[in-house]
Amino acid sequence: MNYPNELKYSRDHEWVRMEGDIAVIGISDFAQDALGDVVFVNLPQEGDAATAGEAFGDVESVKAVSDLVSPVSGTICAVNEELLDAPERLNEDPYGAWLIKVEGITGTEELLDAADYQAMAEQG
Amino acid sequence: MSDWKRTQLYDAHVAAGATMVEFGGWDMPVQYPSGIVAEHLYTRSVCSLFDVSHMGRILVSGPQRVEFLQHVLTSNVLALDLDRAQYSMISDENGYAIDDAYLYRFEEDRFLLVVNAANTDKDLAHLMKVVKDYDCTLTNITADWAAIAVQGPKSKEMMTILSGGEAVTEPMRNALNSLCLEGHFARVAKTGYTGEPLGYEVYVKSEDAVWLWNRLIELGARPAGLGARDTLRMEAGLPLYGHELGLDPAGQPIPIFAVPLARFAVSFSERKGKFIGREALQKQSDAFKRVLNRDFSELSALPRRVRPITLLDRGVIRAGMPVYYKGQEVGWITSGTMIPYFRTENEGLETVITDDALKRSIGMCYVPSEILDEELLEVDVRGKRLRAVIPERHLDNMAPPYARPIIYGTTLSERPAESTTHPALALLHRAEENHIWRQRRCINLIPSENTPSRAVQLLSASDPSCRYAEHKKVKSFYDKDIFYYQGTGFIDEVEQTLVEELRKYFNCSEVETRVVSGQMANTAVFSALMDWKNRLDRRRNPERLGYVMNNHIIKGGHLSAQPMGALHDYIAVDPVTERSAIVNFPVCKDNIFKIDVEETKKLIDQYRPEFIIFGKSMIIHKEPVTDIRRFVDEQKIPTTIMYDMAHVLGLVGKYFQEPFAEGAEIVTGSTHKTFFGPQRGVIAVNYKEEDLKYGLWQTIENRAFPGSVSNHHLGTQLGLLMAAYEMNAFKDSYQKAVIDNARHFAKALKAQGLDVCGDPAIDYTETHQVLVSVGYGEGAEIANRLEKNNIVVNYQATPDEEGFTASGALRMGTNEMTRFGFGPKEFEKLAALIADCVKNGARVIDEVEKLRADFTEMRYCFNDREFETALEGFAGKFGF
Repeated sequence: MNYPNELKYSRDHEWVRMEGDIAVIGISDFAQDALGDVVFVNLPQEGDAATAGEAFGDVESVKAVSDLVSPVSGTICAVNEELLDAPERLNEDPYGAWLIKVEGITGTEELLDAADYQAMAEQG
Repeated sequence: MSDWKRTQLYDAHVAAGATMVEFGGWDMPVQYPSGIVAEHLYTRSVCSLFDVSHMGRILVSGPQRVEFLQHVLTSNVLALDLDRAQYSMISDENGYAIDDAYLYRFEEDRFLLVVNAANTDKDLAHLMKVVKDYDCTLTNITADWAAIAVQGPKSKEMMTILSGGEAVTEPMRNALNSLCLEGHFARVAKTGYTGEPLGYEVYVKSEDAVWLWNRLIELGARPAGLGARDTLRMEAGLPLYGHELGLDPAGQPIPIFAVPLARFAVSFSERKGKFIGREALQKQSDAFKRVLNRDFSELSALPRRVRPITLLDRGVIRAGMPVYYKGQEVGWITSGTMIPYFRTENEGLETVITDDALKRSIGMCYVPSEILDEELLEVDVRGKRLRAVIPERHLDNMAPPYARPIIYGTTLSERPAESTTHPALALLHRAEENHIWRQRRCINLIPSENTPSRAVQLLSASDPSCRYAEHKKVKSFYDKDIFYYQGTGFIDEVEQTLVEELRKYFNCSEVETRVVSGQMANTAVFSALMDWKNRLDRRRNPERLGYVMNNHIIKGGHLSAQPMGALHDYIAVDPVTERSAIVNFPVCKDNIFKIDVEETKKLIDQYRPEFIIFGKSMIIHKEPVTDIRRFVDEQKIPTTIMYDMAHVLGLVGKYFQEPFAEGAEIVTGSTHKTFFGPQRGVIAVNYKEEDLKYGLWQTIENRAFPGSVSNHHLGTQLGLLMAAYEMNAFKDSYQKAVIDNARHFAKALKAQGLDVCGDPAIDYTETHQVLVSVGYGEGAEIANRLEKNNIVVNYQATPDEEGFTASGALRMGTNEMTRFGFGPKEFEKLAALIADCVKNGARVIDEVEKLRADFTEMRYCFNDREFETALEGFAGKFGF
C-alpha cells in the first residue's frame, strides 16, 4: 500500500494536494483497495459548493456504494470527467486519478500526514 | 478467531491473497487480488474455479427415497435418469421456497441433494421432520467431499486433459459422470451457476481438493470468489435465495412461480402424489398461465414476478431500491450492480469477442406480473429516478462455447441498399453469378446435395411443373387411380412408371412418390402409424406413438426423426418422465458414430418400442438393421422398423445396404442427396396385400394425399423419373465409385495430417461421408475459410459437442464431385488443398478453380448421340 508523503489525508480516506490556493482531492490507495473494482463514480458539477465533512459524490464498486466526503469547504472549480467513463482509473492510479479541485477554501477538516494516516487506516 | 467453518481449500484461498468474508457460516473468498471484474471476465473468456465446498450436500438413500423426495421436493424425481441432475425447490405448504436445490443421481440407489450453505441447517431440520414417515436415510456429507465449480469456455478442454481424453460427461446440460481424473476419483456434473454453456461442478474427496484446485490452475484456470459468482449468476438471470427467493424487501414471502426457473423445477405429474406445497403451487401455476396469456384478472397467487432489468441512465441499481411504473412504486430491485462484458464486433457466426471490457448496470427486479417485456420503469437510485427497462434476457448460452451477453438496444445492421438497377434485373444478375459460382468454380462437398443431370433439370422445369394432378385410389373401381383434373394423362403415366422404377430400385412392393421432401415423407409415415394404431376406435382422441427408438440428434440423428422435427405431433409424452417417449440408440464407447447393438437389444427389451427408426445425418457406418430385426423377431416384440435413408438413398444396393432384404419394413428418404433426383421425398414399403400391415401402407398413401400434399409438384416428379432411370442404369458403377472415393479421400486427408473421424480399419467410412475433426468450436470458422477458397463443406457438431456453434467437425461427401468425374487422384489433390487451407490458412482458391474446371461434365447419366439430340431438340423448343 502506498502513502505518498507529500499528501495530506482525511479520516474518510481522501487525499488532498494543495496547488497554490486550490485543493486537489482524490481517494487513497487504501480506499481503492478496500472498495475493490470501482465501476461507477458520481461527481458534482463545476461551481457546486463543497462542504468539509459532507458528501460531494459517491463511488461504487461491484459490491457497494461509498460516499465521497469532502475534506475542505469551498467552490468546486474542476471535475475529473475522465472518471465517468473510466472509473477503474481510481484503482489503477489512485493518486493520479483526482476527483475534484476546490478553490476559495473557507474551512478544512483535520488532515493527517502520511504516517498518521497509514497508522489509522491499517489499524482499522 | 471466529468460529466460521473452513472448506478444504481455505489455506489455498488465503495463500492466493483472497479477501475472506463470512458467508452462510463459512469463511469464504469474496475475491482474489485480480478483483471481481477481472474474475467475471476471465470466467466468460477462459475458465474460473469456484470453491463451492460450503454448499450443503445431503445423501438420500433407503427403499423409500423416491417417495420421500417426490413428497419433499417440487420436481419429478421419477423423471431423473441415472447420471442426470435436475433443478428443484424445497417448498413449504404455501408454495414458498424453503430453499432451491439441485438433485443429482450419480448412483442407482442414492440421490445427492445440494442446497444453499446458508440454509443447510434449516433445510436439514425440515427434511428430518418429513423423513420420519419414510423408510429413508439422510446423511449430511458436506464435510466429507469438496466441491469445485469449473466454469467457462475452456473448462471442457481442461477437464478432458485431466480425464485423459475420455468424455468428461455427455455434452448436454445436467449430465453426470463418475470417473478418474489423473488417478483421483471424481463425480462430475455438467451444471453450474454462472450461465456458462460449458461448465462443471466436480466433487472429490476432501484430501483431493487441493490437488484438483492447483492442477486446474496449472492448466490455465484462475480462482474466482463469491463476488464474481454473484455477478455471473445475476447476468445469467439465476435466482439467489435471499434475493429472488425467500422474503421480498417488504418481508413478504416470494411465491416459487415468481422465479422464471420454477417452470422447470415444479412438476404436477400424477406420479408425484400430494407433495408439500402442491395445492398452492397449482394456484401459482394457474396464475402464471393466465399471465402468459396476458389475462391479468386474478393474480392473487402471483402478484409479482422476478424479471431481468437493465438501467438505461447512468448509475448503478442495487438490491432493495424501489421500482416505479407509471409514477407508482410497484416493486424492488432484488439483485443488481455494474456488470462487465467484452465488446463484440461483426455479426452472427462472424462475431468476434474483443478484449475491450465495457460495463452495464443490470440485475433483477420483483415487479407486478402485468408488466410486459420492454416496458419502461424507473428505479430510485439514491434519491434519483433513473430510467430502466425489462429486457428479454441479459445473457444467452445457446451458442456455445461462449455465454454471450445480450446488450439492450443492439440491432443487426440493415442490408445495404441495392444500386440503381431494378431489383428484378439485379436478381437475375445475382442468380447467374451464384449459379456459375456453385456449378463451375466451387468444389461442392456437402453430402446432402447433388447436381441433377441436364435432362433431369430440363424435365423438372417443363410443363407439368405448372399443373395439378390430385388423384386417389377408388375401391368402386378396383383401386384404379381417379384424377380430379383434366389434361393429366401424361402425368398419370409418369407417376405409375416412376413407382415401377423405384420398386425395382428398392426391391420392394409399394412406393409413394407424391411427398415433396424427406421431412414430409417422415411426417406422412408418422401420421399414418399413429392413425393406424388408433384405427379400431376413432371416436376418441388418438393415442400418440411411444416408445419410439431413434438416433439422438446430438449423436448424428436426423432432425426430421426427432420430437422437435417431424415426430413433434405424433410422439407421446411418458407420464412418468414427463418427456417425449423416445429412447435413443446407444453408441459404442470406442466409436461414437456406430450403434452399440448389444446395448440396443437391452433397451429394446426394456422399452419395447413400437417403432424403430434407423438412419442419421452423420452416417459413416451401416445401420444394424439385420441384427435388430432378428432380435425383435426372436423376442416376438411387436414393432415397426423404418430406415430413414435420407443421406444414403442413392446407395441402396450391394455396396452399402439393402434395407428390405435386411428386414426394414419402411424406407423414407430425400431424392437429392446421394440419389440423382431433384429435391423431393419418397416412401417405400415392403408390405404385401395379404399382410396385416398392408393397411398401414394404405394409410401412408392416404396421409401423403390428402394428408400432406394437394399439389405434389409435378415438374420435379417428372425429373425424378429420369433420375430413377439414371440410377437403375448406372448405380452399380456410381455407388462403388462414391464409396471408393470417400475412402480414398478419408485416407488422403489423414495422410495430410488431418484428424479423420471413424475406424481406420475400414478406411474410415462405409458411405459417401467423410468426417474430419478440426478442433472444438473451430468448425464454423474453418468451413467459412474453405468457402472463401471455393470449397463448400458442412460444419457439424460431433456426438460429444454441445451444438452447432461448438462444432468441431467438417462433414463432407464425395457424391456430387464423383458425378462430375472426380476419382481417387482428384480427391487426393483436393485433400492436399484442404489440409493446406485448414492447417496453414493457405489461399488455395486458384488451385481449387483449376481442379474444378476440368470436371464440369456430368457422369452416370445418358449421353449417347440419340439421347443428346433429343435433349437438345427439347431444350431448343423449350426456349432455354
